[in-house]
Amino acid sequence: MDEAIIEMHHVYKTYPNQISALSDITLEIFPGEFTFIAGPSGCGKSTLFRILFCAEKPTSGEVLVHGMHITHPGFKKIYQLRRKMGIVSQDFKLLKDRTVNENVAFALEVTGHPPKEAKSKASEMLSRVGLEEREKDSILALSAGEQQRVAIARALVNLPPLILADEPTGNLDAKMTLEVMEIFTALHQKGTTILFATQYTGLIKRYSYRVIQILNGQVWNGRKMDIHKGREVKAGE
Amino acid sequence: MGNLFPNLITIGIIAISMLIFSTFTLLAFNLTNLLKIWEDKIEVIAYLKRGTPSNEVEPLIKKTRLLEGVEIVRYISPFDAMAFMEMKLGGQKTLLQGIQPAVLPPSFEIQLKEEYRNSTKIKEVVTQLKKIPQFEEIQYGQEWVETFSVLVHILRLTQWILGGLLLIAIVFITSNTLQLTISSRKEEIEVMQWVGASPGFIRVPFYTEGLLQGLLGGGLAIFFLFLLHHGLFLNIPPPMEAWLTKIPVLFLPMETIIWILLGGMVLGFFGSSVASMRVLKYR
Repeated sequence: MDEAIIEMHHVYKTYPNQISALSDITLEIFPGEFTFIAGPSGCGKSTLFRILFCAEKPTSGEVLVHGMHITHPGFKKIYQLRRKMGIVSQDFKLLKDRTVNENVAFALEVTGHPPKEAKSKASEMLSRVGLEEREKDSILALSAGEQQRVAIARALVNLPPLILADEPTGNLDAKMTLEVMEIFTALHQKGTTILFATQYTGLIKRYSYRVIQILNGQVWNGRKMDIHKGREVKAGE
Repeated sequence: MGNLFPNLITIGIIAISMLIFSTFTLLAFNLTNLLKIWEDKIEVIAYLKRGTPSNEVEPLIKKTRLLEGVEIVRYISPFDAMAFMEMKLGGQKTLLQGIQPAVLPPSFEIQLKEEYRNSTKIKEVVTQLKKIPQFEEIQYGQEWVETFSVLVHILRLTQWILGGLLLIAIVFITSNTLQLTISSRKEEIEVMQWVGASPGFIRVPFYTEGLLQGLLGGGLAIFFLFLLHHGLFLNIPPPMEAWLTKIPVLFLPMETIIWILLGGMVLGFFGSSVASMRVLKYR
């Protein structure tokens, strides 16, 4: 079996106000997997993602991404890690004063690609997400679904082997959600590893991908929660 | 465009601060130059005791010439002194009628070697001269030279203390304006960090901005100082002009101008580094 692309070992995250966001998370994601990180709003999905792309440090535990010990105190090359992953979020994070093509090409330009090459690669990627006709349009002229497709194109233009998508369909209606899911499915079929956070169980049920259930900052796969007692239902109870 | 106003304010404040510093530098430069001119003219006059036998004069000249720091020794007899006074009085030399040259003491005019023409070294020569018993009094205008060199020293000290304070102010102002610029480009920076732009790539434009602000501020300061120098020192009324021909009022030499411009750039760069350290953390 391949080496895991993501490894988390006993990861805890407690904020200074003593709120525990993650508690003893241990998981592995293997190359080429499509994995849903499922759980209600506020369960710790976003914190988990932020730790994976080094926007936050865990309180304790070890995290390896692409074999890099990102929780090691000496780890400084965050930008090198991020060049090997594409990040997609619920709020798109697009530059409103630029065109569709410029937004996608930006990701290449700032990582040292010549502008001409960046524009041409951006066009290629935009046609893969079905936006070849909107290249020269302003971001503000696009629908929410189209904006999310631009964000996906930007995340993919560097051809990263790993995509971290944190609630990418959170702001989209059902039709647009399916359009976006088609893009992710196509990517997965081409071998890209995808970690997809969502709170919508309906969406998860449509696909037969691996699901990691997060609840109260913990992995709950195969475990049951007694909502009245506020704790896990033990075997035999 | 939104950052034009804070940038102009920063350049303006850097220019004012650098202008204050440059003005002090110019003043100190001119006063040092003046001190140098005066020091070059410094000579020591050693008055001989009355009644010193004339046969002792020649050996005394030789003895004085051998002292460290002495370049030329010229004997001024009472008759030479009288002739000098008559020449100085010009048309009013009749005032000296009835005065015998003998009332004027004979003296040695001692010119010093170049490296001894300053207030510290001159004292070493004077100490040696005072040890010669045939000399009654030694004069070298010490009070004037000492007072003036103290004045130059105080001015230089003020220049550097003020320079230090202005330096802190410039770094503070540049760093704060650049923080505003960085805040206005927050979204763009965040996207850059997301897609893996290197920290250097993100910071370089802000460092460049700081360098340019410092260069423009320094350049403006030099320009205004030049106008001030021309306006105040060169367009002066004719009576003062005659006086000023004896005291040249110079502008800063090219080397100092380059140092001021480089100083402005370094301060601007330092300000942008402080801003980057504060708000451009990779997250």
